[in-house]
Amino acid sequence: MNYLKQKVAPRREERLGSCIEFGGTVGEIHKQFCGGCLKNKRRAFSQGTICQLLPATAILTSLQDCVVIVHGAVGCGGAVHSQGASVRVGQFNSGIKNPKGALWLSTNLSESDVVSGGEEKLKHSIVEADKRYRPDAIIVLSTCVPAIIGDDIDGVADNLKDQVSATILPIHCEGFKTKIMATAYDAIFHSFLRNMTDGKDETEFNVYDNEISVTSEKLRRSRLVNLLNVSSMTGPDQKELTRLLNKLGLEVNMLPCDAHPDAFRLAPFAALSIGVCPTHDDYFMTYLEQKFGVPFVGGQMPIGIENTSLWLRQVAKKLGLTDAAERIIKSETDELNQSLKPLLPYLKGKTAMLSAGEIRTLATAVLLQELGMEILAVRPYHYDQFGGVEIEKLEKINPKIRINVATAQPFEAVNLIYRTKPDIYIGHNSDNIWAAKCGVAVLPIYGTNSIYSGYAGAYDIARRLKRHLKNSSFNEHLSKHARQPYKEFWYSENPFKYIQGGDDQ
Amino acid sequence: MNTYITNTNKRFIERPRSFCSLGGALITVTALPETVPILHTAMGCGGSIYWNQYGSTGYLGAGYCGGLAVPSSNIQEKDIIFGGLERLEEQVKNTIELVEGKLYIILTGCTADIIGDDIQSIVRQYREEGTEIIGTETGGFHGDGYKGYDLVLTVLIREFIEKQKVKKKNKVNLLGVVPGQDAFWRGNLLKIRTLLEKLGLEVNSFFTEYDTLNSIRNAGDAALTIVVSEFYAQDAANAFKKIHQIPYITNPFPIGPTSTEAFLKNVAEILEIPQDIVQQLIETETKHYFRYLERVADAYNDLDWQRYAVVVGDVNYAPAITKFLADDFGWLPELMVVTNNVDEEQKPKISSVIETLTSQYPTAIAYESDPTEIKTHFWKIVPRKSDRLYQDDFSPGFVIGSHLEREFATDIGAGHLTVSYPVGNRIVLNRGYAGYDGSLSLIEDLLSVIAAQR
Repeated sequence: MNYLKQKVAPRREERLGSCIEFGGTVGEIHKQFCGGCLKNKRRAFSQGTICQLLPATAILTSLQDCVVIVHGAVGCGGAVHSQGASVRVGQFNSGIKNPKGALWLSTNLSESDVVSGGEEKLKHSIVEADKRYRPDAIIVLSTCVPAIIGDDIDGVADNLKDQVSATILPIHCEGFKTKIMATAYDAIFHSFLRNMTDGKDETEFNVYDNEISVTSEKLRRSRLVNLLNVSSMTGPDQKELTRLLNKLGLEVNMLPCDAHPDAFRLAPFAALSIGVCPTHDDYFMTYLEQKFGVPFVGGQMPIGIENTSLWLRQVAKKLGLTDAAERIIKSETDELNQSLKPLLPYLKGKTAMLSAGEIRTLATAVLLQELGMEILAVRPYHYDQFGGVEIEKLEKINPKIRINVATAQPFEAVNLIYRTKPDIYIGHNSDNIWAAKCGVAVLPIYGTNSIYSGYAGAYDIARRLKRHLKNSSFNEHLSKHARQPYKEFWYSENPFKYIQGGDDQ
Repeated sequence: MNTYITNTNKRFIERPRSFCSLGGALITVTALPETVPILHTAMGCGGSIYWNQYGSTGYLGAGYCGGLAVPSSNIQEKDIIFGGLERLEEQVKNTIELVEGKLYIILTGCTADIIGDDIQSIVRQYREEGTEIIGTETGGFHGDGYKGYDLVLTVLIREFIEKQKVKKKNKVNLLGVVPGQDAFWRGNLLKIRTLLEKLGLEVNSFFTEYDTLNSIRNAGDAALTIVVSEFYAQDAANAFKKIHQIPYITNPFPIGPTSTEAFLKNVAEILEIPQDIVQQLIETETKHYFRYLERVADAYNDLDWQRYAVVVGDVNYAPAITKFLADDFGWLPELMVVTNNVDEEQKPKISSVIETLTSQYPTAIAYESDPTEIKTHFWKIVPRKSDRLYQDDFSPGFVIGSHLEREFATDIGAGHLTVSYPVGNRIVLNRGYAGYDGSLSLIEDLLSVIAAQR
């Protein structure tokens, strides 16, 4: 990869051949993707969904000591009014008694800005933000309007470099540029790599006053690992993964979510980077290895029992800690399996459908299989080479499991639910309501300050599944009184009717 | 003499207290009965608005065909270069095929508006084929959520509501409560509608469960449009006037017995409703109000529940709540912060509410939206705490605003209630603060914050 010289990270469509339109079975998608013939298609009917900006604001407003400027119309960034709830919890967890919540600004582009350009407004906004909030970094998010009218946000940032004390990070996440919202992760890391993660050693700034402290820092760094978290991870998730890595004797430098910019500055000096989701972190970890020689392990999400063990083994192997890892895995899984026993009868044979980000959906499906449940369908938000790791596992269990690649698109989900009648739907924030209106029990697939990752996550997911299956009367009643917006014919129609070929963008 | 403070920062808005015009328009459309929105926007607009409403409008859900079910053309770079109408045409065709609706409304986003897609050509085409469909340009750069509401109502009034020559003397249209921007819009509308019905009026209020698409279609024979806002829905009211020859009145948003009495008298006078009817209603409603108030008055007096207050809200809420606190509830509103961007020539309308307070309470007015700057204004009015043993400070205090004021309230040791946008720390179903009955709910909510600490 050599994209860093460019201002903008490439679209995932180009970099990874990602797609968001597919309907079929896991066996089919595996075969077609491996054969290289899973072409991007299009939907002749589509529903409003998530663009790059949404994950970008979710991640970036969680950073400590940063201000996010959303350069666009006043509505872009409005999602932070709800995303900010978890930012606030994060601040509270880090010890702030009266948290401010997410701090973001809108340049509020108006009709006259569309005509005369928004660069001046952005310039003044950066200067004023620097003066008013004195942040470590000012993050500028470009949206559709400045991209179309041709605002040069990199130029503005560059010109102001010497005028403001904060580091300016211009990030391109215009909604119309890509169908793959996960491109946002690349866009974010791209800017941090270009502007912040520069490999300047702290010792150059005379932080250390004697040889001994330099040596002890070196020792520390030999056990320091970058843990790449994701914005859908909760505080308890982060704690669980940190707990497991601490057990291996490692110190964790967690980023990007909830991190201070210093975590990005420290990252080049870690002994290893550890991913938790290739959809999120491959861009950053690959560059960190290329640029600074920090090796990485990735490709595996620590959701599920076997997946968590695999994840730990990968980490341990790189650091020569295999024996310690095996001991940890044994004691952890022994205790977990013992604790799961009384829960399993409640879950045995229950059927499920899942919907969310690519890797989380597939990894959680693998976990449900481990718990004795049956997977009827999986609906990853997009699909690319990284999905293969989990798809292979699902294929081994049953190649006929249905797969519907869609960023939300609840009309397809509802059709599939009527068709397959799952006992429970495990879905993304805002997907779930459409399953709920079908009368199906629902477990949210991330968030709510619950734990999903690691061994503790496996137990908690099982416990919560049992809880939802025990009483789903809320949704049963709802389904009798809330109507889906689709005409009757839809329920006997091919759910993938509107996915059509050709016209690859 | 009141103090006036105006925000001079025209560079950015910190944590904006508003949807964009598309967001306001979309929530307005999803609040209409039997209506399906069709977005002609980039793919993320629908999701962005949905996430926004979740955290700003008391966890307002998707409803019938909102949220991520909203039909949307999801235009991409190619469409922006070559034009997006072909994609929109296909989307409209398939929406009509798949989605059950009696009226379809196309709303555009920034992208489509900048490239100048002519959505009306598609509207005409499908109307000729017999589909009830209208559309309007609502790209976010046109303005805020209040503007979006006005744009949707205006096109509805212009293109959907049927013209009728003969007006019904006792029929009115009700405007000025903005869905989404006012998290309590459902409760507020219903309370005002019910009051007007008690005056013997037939009311078209667009968004309550008693409104239907048919009743909206037949709103052209109303005798008067009542706008319970001096700022919002002005274009819509003008459209009623121009297209349907229905005159309108504006009235400050009424909360509490004093304001509501004035509102009812105002309406009755214009519509020539007999004095005894309106007087009877005012008496009954006032009696109802005091019947409940009487039995919390013990605690109010025993436990000293009078508070200094800061009120932060839009041009509907801020003056209405300030007036209620000062004139009905005996609280001490030291500072009223109006969060909308109000033109200089409009400001006298707001200051006159304060200048005519029956309690003559000297409330200071600030025009400010940025949460961190509100604190700065507050400290200009209220002396900072010092180490002195004796000081007459802002205590006991209360902040009534949005969830963005939580930190500020905690900082100054004041109670806090979220009423204005964004409302992310409360659930809102059928609650409303308008009228007599609504102000009882407001009292419940204010005093519950204090009682919860006991």
